[in-house]
Amino acid sequence: MTPGTRTSRAKADAFLAVAVLAAVWKLGSIAVGAEIILPAPERVLSALARVASADGFVAALSATALRGLASFGVSMALGVSLGFAAGVSDRFRAMLAPVLTVTRATPVLAIILLAMIWFPSGIVPVFSAVVMAFPVAAADVAAGVRSADPRLLDMARSFGVPARDVAARIRLPSAAPHLASAARNAIGLSWKVVVAGEVLSQPAYAVGTGMQNARVMLETAEVFAWAAVGILLCAASDALFDLLSRRLSWATK
Amino acid sequence: MGYEVRGLAKSFGELRVLGGLDLEFPAGRVTVVLGPSGCGKTSLLNILAGLDADYSGEVRGFGPGKASYVFQEDRLMPWMSAMDNVALVLRRFMDRERAVAAAEEALESVGLQGSRGSKPGAMSGGMRRRVALARAFAYPSEVLLLDEPFSSLDLRTRISVMDLFLDLRERDGRSAVVVTHDVREAIYLGSRVATLSDKPAKARDVFDLTLDKADRGFTSRAAASFEARLYESILS
Repeated sequence: MTPGTRTSRAKADAFLAVAVLAAVWKLGSIAVGAEIILPAPERVLSALARVASADGFVAALSATALRGLASFGVSMALGVSLGFAAGVSDRFRAMLAPVLTVTRATPVLAIILLAMIWFPSGIVPVFSAVVMAFPVAAADVAAGVRSADPRLLDMARSFGVPARDVAARIRLPSAAPHLASAARNAIGLSWKVVVAGEVLSQPAYAVGTGMQNARVMLETAEVFAWAAVGILLCAASDALFDLLSRRLSWATK
Repeated sequence: MGYEVRGLAKSFGELRVLGGLDLEFPAGRVTVVLGPSGCGKTSLLNILAGLDADYSGEVRGFGPGKASYVFQEDRLMPWMSAMDNVALVLRRFMDRERAVAAAEEALESVGLQGSRGSKPGAMSGGMRRRVALARAFAYPSEVLLLDEPFSSLDLRTRISVMDLFLDLRERDGRSAVVVTHDVREAIYLGSRVATLSDKPAKARDVFDLTLDKADRGFTSRAAASFEARLYESILS
């Protein structure tokens, strides 16, 4: 089977999966028979069109995207620097381990509720997403840095290559594939937590605010539509990272 | 300056690998340490290179940063070009521009001037060995350490890379320690061959090779008779 055939087969399979899901959803909505509980797919699509054309949608979408990207940026900056340090130093890794365990084990709602006490509503989603996403990124980066081939590190040591060159020229490139996976995990988590934070903290412009307002008005189709907007943001960033990781794996070959 | 080890012993837990090794490596010569596979030859080189400090006995003349190590595998960074691989080990002695110029010169000396931008993945085994040799010779060390450096190559490539090593070494005059289990390789490369016993390794015999280069070849009868003496020493 050629790679081209494999790609088109995979696309056909994905399309089939979506079609099956839509059919099950449609049948479910017929069986339930109450739009307020499970609206039909076409009702959600028309709600999505309505939401997308309403005043303030672009502002809400942009504000959420901005919050997601800001959380991602801060999470990656923290995750890469802490993860790198944990990758090269056993002592730092030991010190960081309990911090990462606590932040990873803390329920996201607890973090959002605390953030609501501490910060204005627009900052709450960003703070919460950073607290949730940076440990994941740090763990990925640390694993990548530690995955550097010990034989290459021995070679560098035998030639007395300075530590900064070992870090920049051996450890960092070894971590490149893990960096891509760290970024993908961090952005995926950022979108989810940002929207959850917006639902609770209700900033003026936000996808989460739209979702919460729709829920209050019992517009279930609109809740689905806002959720779809969040999913689309996540899918767009996933596609971007697919592209990026292909470039990275090419560059490190 | 002389290089030697006295009473060198090394263990991995209960396993004694080097059992009080006494060896001299005269300056300016290629000393081959010949011994059976797994007798502790790589452990010896790791100690000489300063990669392993967990041993007992005396090591004179060697130390971290003093040796250029050619490992059994190429140990090239797959994401770097041939030139960057060589330049990396030179950076602590010079700025980037001079390191690149020195790396280019080193690659030229091993006949790879046209492949300086190639990454190891795009090179043959023989070419990667040449890059590893270029890196070792470019590095301003006092001594070269080579760990079975040619055994993974087919015979023709092996002979051409060994010839290259001998030419570069002769021009450069640096002392070299080569460890191998291959008797013919030892005869081809060494001006002095020290044989080791099986684990825990101890020095058996030292042979000074007086054969001309032409008589060291893989088809040479003179080398064959010498080969018998070396086998006798290893197997006794």
